[in-house]
Amino acid sequence: MTEKVIETTLLTKRYGDFTAVDQLNMTVDEGEIFGFLGPNGAGKTTTILMLMGLSVPTSGTGVVAGYDIVDESREVRKVASILPEYSSLYGDLTAYENLDYIGRLNDLSKAEGEERTNEMLKIVGMSKWKDSKVESFSRGMKQRVGIAAALIKQPKVIFLDEPTLGLDPVGTKEIRELILRLNREQGLTVVMASHLLHEIQITCSRVGIINKGRMVVTETIENLTKEMTGSEDRRVEFKLSEVPSGLIGDLEAIESVKSVTQENDRLYVYAGVESDFMVSKTVVEHGAVILLMRPREYTLEEIFMKYYTEG
Amino acid sequence: MAGTLTVAAKEIRDQLGSKRFLILFGLVLLLSSLAAYQGVDFIRNNQDAGFAYIFSGARFGFSFIQIMVFFGPLLGLTMGFDAINKERTAGTLSVVLSQPIFRDSVINGKFIAGAAALATLTLGTIGITCGLTIPMLGFGPTAEEAAKIAIMTLLTIVYLVFWLSLGILYSVLTKKTSTSILSSIATWLTFAIVISILASVVANVLVPLPGGTFRAGEGDQGGFRISPEFTETMQRRAAIQSNIQKISPTNLYSDAASDILGVQSGFGRGFQQFERTLTLGEALAANWANIAALAVGLVICFAASYMMFLRSEIRPGD
Repeated sequence: MTEKVIETTLLTKRYGDFTAVDQLNMTVDEGEIFGFLGPNGAGKTTTILMLMGLSVPTSGTGVVAGYDIVDESREVRKVASILPEYSSLYGDLTAYENLDYIGRLNDLSKAEGEERTNEMLKIVGMSKWKDSKVESFSRGMKQRVGIAAALIKQPKVIFLDEPTLGLDPVGTKEIRELILRLNREQGLTVVMASHLLHEIQITCSRVGIINKGRMVVTETIENLTKEMTGSEDRRVEFKLSEVPSGLIGDLEAIESVKSVTQENDRLYVYAGVESDFMVSKTVVEHGAVILLMRPREYTLEEIFMKYYTEG
Repeated sequence: MAGTLTVAAKEIRDQLGSKRFLILFGLVLLLSSLAAYQGVDFIRNNQDAGFAYIFSGARFGFSFIQIMVFFGPLLGLTMGFDAINKERTAGTLSVVLSQPIFRDSVINGKFIAGAAALATLTLGTIGITCGLTIPMLGFGPTAEEAAKIAIMTLLTIVYLVFWLSLGILYSVLTKKTSTSILSSIATWLTFAIVISILASVVANVLVPLPGGTFRAGEGDQGGFRISPEFTETMQRRAAIQSNIQKISPTNLYSDAASDILGVQSGFGRGFQQFERTLTLGEALAANWANIAALAVGLVICFAASYMMFLRSEIRPGD
């Protein structure tokens, strides 16, 4: 039985008339990498700010690592860390000084702070630049130091707000591997807000899709894909030598086929497994040769578009 | 408390090492040395003047007190105008506040650091000024004069910290540092220049100058004969002007500091007058209201920024 590290109940935040987060329910299990997905302005950042005690909910409750986010905010901040969306370090201080300051704010002794600072800089691979000023770093380096700063307090949960935004592919890969490694080696629970679908897909074990402040769906990526690729929405991709006139009409006439669409040289047949035989037979009867035939899984993009537009 | 001290320690290091502080310190030190030279000149030309006059006496140009009247608002505001909003814009505020500290540690720490920087500046300037002038004069302050200088130093620090807390208030009220720096400059100009212009305009509206030009009276060979009515008019105008300027913190400071040191100076008081030097006790008795007003202003500004900061939230995009 895994323990819930985060649980919110009807969490709501209003700014005047605007409802940024609307009766949000979410749970994150210990040791999970939870992808918090949604378009810009969906309420991801606001939710994280509330969970960290930086913003006060208008209504509803939240619990992080067993502590109430409003009444026990300081306890929450002892066990949870945040890497904000934009670089959040003092540019005029060195990497070491930045981490040392955060360590002191966490009541670490000088020796403890020094030890952890060096350890964290090593983990993120920034030991070499520890005495350089942060303003001279690239965005990727800043993010790595930012993660090190977030790790100083040895948190149970870390909130990453768009951790790879604006990074080049190499930087993105480094950050992703770092997150996965921390999760694997230290059992760190990670909540990662992003609108980069691919990033979420390859990093996260479970995703929550938020749109207009509401949690639309929470599911493992595998199940999400499966759900849409189930018999109801199954589609088969064909590449044919030619598309004879009348073929599409005849295919649509097959009882179990829902619809047929043509995109460039591909034909997509929306139908269950049972109709595969009849479909291919019909194609051949029209004198076309099947060059390729495969059930086509939905891309994440298509899944998310579905939920975004539904919301 | 640990959080407050940690923030304060970091901020003091930042402040004392900043170009901003070094430039201001250099400027004040330069001007104060020039003022001290004038103070020495003043003392040499007045038999009754004691050592304390190096900070208040000037036969030409500015005394130390007048420098503080003019630059004091700038010094204090400069140390505080971006205290909070700069960190908000840089995103560092959310990281600091996401550590297990009490929220007020941030604003308390910054206030302490700013006050410490201003105290350093004041003590450094006054110390160096004394060090320069004692050899020039060949004598140092008596015990009472030393006490007067010490009290004046404290008063100067309170006065500067008042402007600091107003600056911090601006940094809490505004989102952008460009807005708070403009507010600070506007405030400085208002109290350094605009208020005296305003006072004379108001005085002129209430008590207009008599028409015509000054005429030499009969029998006065080339001199002006000033009628008692004219003198009265001018006195009423001066009274209105000085009452309007009384609301200015710069004036509260210069009145109190001048009385403590012994020479009336400051804008709106007209010519330097050499009066009977008050004892420290007399000066404090006559000026306790001024000093209290400055302290109350300081507390109000800080309390307002404190409460607004505690109530403010981090919003997406901060």
